[in-house]
Amino acid sequence: MKPHRRKKLTIIAFIATGLSVAIGLSLYALSNSIDLFFTPTQVAAGEVMNGQRVRVGGMVKEGSVVRSEESLHVEFVATDYAHDVLIRYDGILPDLFREGQGVVVEGMVANGVFEASRVLAKHDENYMSVEVKAALDASGHSMPVQETEGAGNGS
Amino acid sequence: MWQWFFRLGSPKWFYELSGRWLPWLYVAMTVLLSIGVIWALLFVPQDYQQGDTIRIMYVHVPVASISLACFPLMAVAGVITLVWKMKLADMVAMCAAPIGAWFTAVALATGAIWGQPIWGTWWAWDARLTSMLIQFFLLIGVIALRSAIESPDAAARACALLSIVGAINVPIIKYSVEWWNTLHQPASNFAMDNESPFGPEIWVPLVIMICAVYLFFVISLILSTRNEILVRERRSQWVVDLIAAQKPQGA
Repeated sequence: MKPHRRKKLTIIAFIATGLSVAIGLSLYALSNSIDLFFTPTQVAAGEVMNGQRVRVGGMVKEGSVVRSEESLHVEFVATDYAHDVLIRYDGILPDLFREGQGVVVEGMVANGVFEASRVLAKHDENYMSVEVKAALDASGHSMPVQETEGAGNGS
Repeated sequence: MWQWFFRLGSPKWFYELSGRWLPWLYVAMTVLLSIGVIWALLFVPQDYQQGDTIRIMYVHVPVASISLACFPLMAVAGVITLVWKMKLADMVAMCAAPIGAWFTAVALATGAIWGQPIWGTWWAWDARLTSMLIQFFLLIGVIALRSAIESPDAAARACALLSIVGAINVPIIKYSVEWWNTLHQPASNFAMDNESPFGPEIWVPLVIMICAVYLFFVISLILSTRNEILVRERRSQWVVDLIAAQKPQGA
């Protein structure tokens, strides 16, 4: 390789490395803002102020969903298996909403309860045909790969 | 080795070689695309959670993975343009930008169409979706930069630099789902063993679709680059001869 080309290549490598480090550090510093949602642990630690509009993500706790008889009102607990957040919501839930499923709720904390204005469903990275799922259920292994991401692992 | 490298950079050589490859690529793409589309739309079993919506994956995943491959390709071409001043590299980079922008747009669109029934929203400002949108704007920026600078050499250098810098976004897109919490799920694990719940009836057609869409990308890029070669080399003897040879048939 000719010397002037080697020099150019070094300069490009230097610029690319420098910029990557700069961008990497800024993203690292901003990671709290880049996270889409707070985890129940962060809410429990008081990172969310009363009346602040935020998103909270977690798993819908098994057996926690209480639906109202005469309206769309629903209450459930979002959990990351360390802490829980009680969520109240008036509105239409996404099709994928069910117990044990990941959700991201938008709203605000008021008096220890999270008043949600929107509920989004998270889904995991596992896909399975209906038949395989039925066979797994029949053999007692409901889910070979445990979903963990939806619960969030802090930040 | 260097001799081979420089021969690769000759537009004439590329034009002739790609002309010989194209028919085979067409055949391979048509076969794979028909198998993949028919399999994915008609024979892939319903997902236990998502039902028929899972079929969107067979378009979304290939298109998104190629839009992620396109930017590094432009960055490598950019390095070659800047260091070795190879004309062909700049032509490839120039032709890849609009194709990559389209792939990124389709990935965003199919993602939104998938998100509406599954997540309950078309769009969320999570790290994966936002970084993908940034890539779309970066590609639009590369295209705009090219047409904004009058001198072709200066435009080539500026676009090369922007492509190299913009490629930093690619690992951010790739790992966004692991570094931050997002609405988008992490990448699926294609375990090739039978233990995985992600069975072959789901991943084999996906692999076929990824290959087919890759071929589609390569063919689009080759056709577009061949066009660009003819335009830029229109004054060179071999292009004049080529056009003279084709005239009698065309007239």
